[in-house]
Amino acid sequence: MTRQRATDPMASLYPFLYADRGDTDAVLTEVQRSTVDKIREITELRGHVVAREAERLAACAADMARAFACGGRLFAFGNGGSATDAQDLASLFLHPGRGARPLPAFGLTSDVAVLTALSNDVGFDVVYARQIAAFARRNDIAVGLSTSGNSENLLRGFDEARRRGLLTVGIAGADGGRMASSASIDHLFVVPSTSVHRIQEAQTTVYHVLWELTVSALPSDPALGGTAPGGGAHGLGSGEQDGMGGGGNDNGEALTEE
Amino acid sequence: MEPSTVHAAQARELFDRRIAPVEGVAADADAVAAACHAMAARFHRGGKLIVFGSGGPTTDAQHVAVEFVHPVIVGKRALPAISLTTDAATVTGVAEEVGVAEVFAHQIRHLAEPVDIALGISADGRCRGVLRGLATAHDMGLLTVALCGGDGGSVAAAPAVDHVIVARSADPRIVKEIHVTVYHVLWELVHVFLEQPGALTPEVV
Repeated sequence: MTRQRATDPMASLYPFLYADRGDTDAVLTEVQRSTVDKIREITELRGHVVAREAERLAACAADMARAFACGGRLFAFGNGGSATDAQDLASLFLHPGRGARPLPAFGLTSDVAVLTALSNDVGFDVVYARQIAAFARRNDIAVGLSTSGNSENLLRGFDEARRRGLLTVGIAGADGGRMASSASIDHLFVVPSTSVHRIQEAQTTVYHVLWELTVSALPSDPALGGTAPGGGAHGLGSGEQDGMGGGGNDNGEALTEE
Repeated sequence: MEPSTVHAAQARELFDRRIAPVEGVAADADAVAAACHAMAARFHRGGKLIVFGSGGPTTDAQHVAVEFVHPVIVGKRALPAISLTTDAATVTGVAEEVGVAEVFAHQIRHLAEPVDIALGISADGRCRGVLRGLATAHDMGLLTVALCGGDGGSVAAAPAVDHVIVARSADPRIVKEIHVTVYHVLWELVHVFLEQPGALTPEVV
C-alpha cells in the first residue's frame, strides 16, 4: 500500500513515527502521550453529552420505566460494533447481576439464522423491521444504535416500531444523520464527535445511564431481594446518593409481565 | 403501579462517577503502549488475535474482533481476529460436557497457534474461563493480554498474563466503558507500530 505522507492522518497524529528514527523507546513515549490524549477526549465528550442530554435522559428513562411497568419488553439493534452494544444493552436489562432487577430484553442481532435468512431472501435493510413486526406489541421499547445515524435498516426498524406503537429510542453520533430527521424516534441522543471510536465510548455511557435510571425508577424485584443497580454490595447504588430520587421503590409489589 | 420519578440530577451524578476511573487509565498509558507494541510484533509475524470473555464481555470480544477485521477508518488494513464467544454450539457443548471454565481453553487448544495473541476480558478479574484461557494460551506460547476491572483479581495476578490493563472501578458498567476506550486505543496504536516496522524490535517478538 502506498501512502501519501502529507495527507495521511496518521502522519500528522504521530509525526515522530515518520522521522525514520529507530528509537523504540521514543515511539513508545509518543503513543503513551496519544493514549492520554484520547482519555482526555472521551471525558470531555461525555461532559458535552450530559450537559446537553441530562434532562432528556431522565425523561426517556421515565418513559422506559413506565413501559416496563406496563409489561413492555425491550428490543435492541445496531450494526457492526453497534450490534455488540445492542447485545450488551439487551443482556444488561435481562441479566444485570448483583441483585438488580432483571427485565425482559431481546437483542435483534444475536440470531445468525434469522439475520442471514432475511438478508438473503429479502435484504439487509429489513433485518430489524421484520423482527420487530414479528415480535413487538404496544408498550414495548425499541432501542437502535448507530454511530452515523444513517443505517437504512435502523431507520426501517424505527418506522416499524412506530407503526406498532412502541416507545422508540435512538442513540446516534456525529450530527445524528438521518436518524435526526426521522419522525419515528421519540427520544434521540446524539453524541457530537467526528471520531467513531469516541462516539461508541460515549454511547456506551448513554445506555448504561439509561439502564441505571430506568431500573432505579422501578420497584425492586422481591424474588431477588433486589437492590438499586450499580453494585449493591459495592455501594455504588444511585439510591444511596442525596437527591437521587430513590434507588427503586421499596413497596415490594411485583409487576405483572404479561 | 407508577414508577418513581427520574431526575436529571441522577443522570449528571452517573456521568460524574465516570470521570475519576477513566482518568485513572492515563496512569497506565505505558502498559497500554507496551501491549500494543507486543501485539503489533505478533501481527507482523503473521499471528492472529483471539478474544474472549464471559457475560457482558462476550460482546466486547466481538467488538474487538470486528474492530480489527473491519476497521472503521477507511484504508486501514484488515487484521485477523476472532472472538471465542459467538459459536453457541461449541460454547454450550464444552460448558455442558467439561465445564464452563474450559470453554475458551478448549477453543484455544484447537484453534490457536503459538504466534497468536490471546486477549481475555473480565470486568472483575475473576472470570475462571478467561483465566483458564489465558493460562492455556501462555503454555502454548501465545502472547497473553488481559483487560480487567476492580482490583484486577486473579486474572491480573496470573503469571500467565504478559500484559494487563486494569480499569479501577467496582462498577462493571464503568469498567466496560473504560475497556471500550482501551481496546479502541489498542487497535489504533497497533496500526501505528505496524506502519513503522523499524519500531518492532526483536525483544518484543
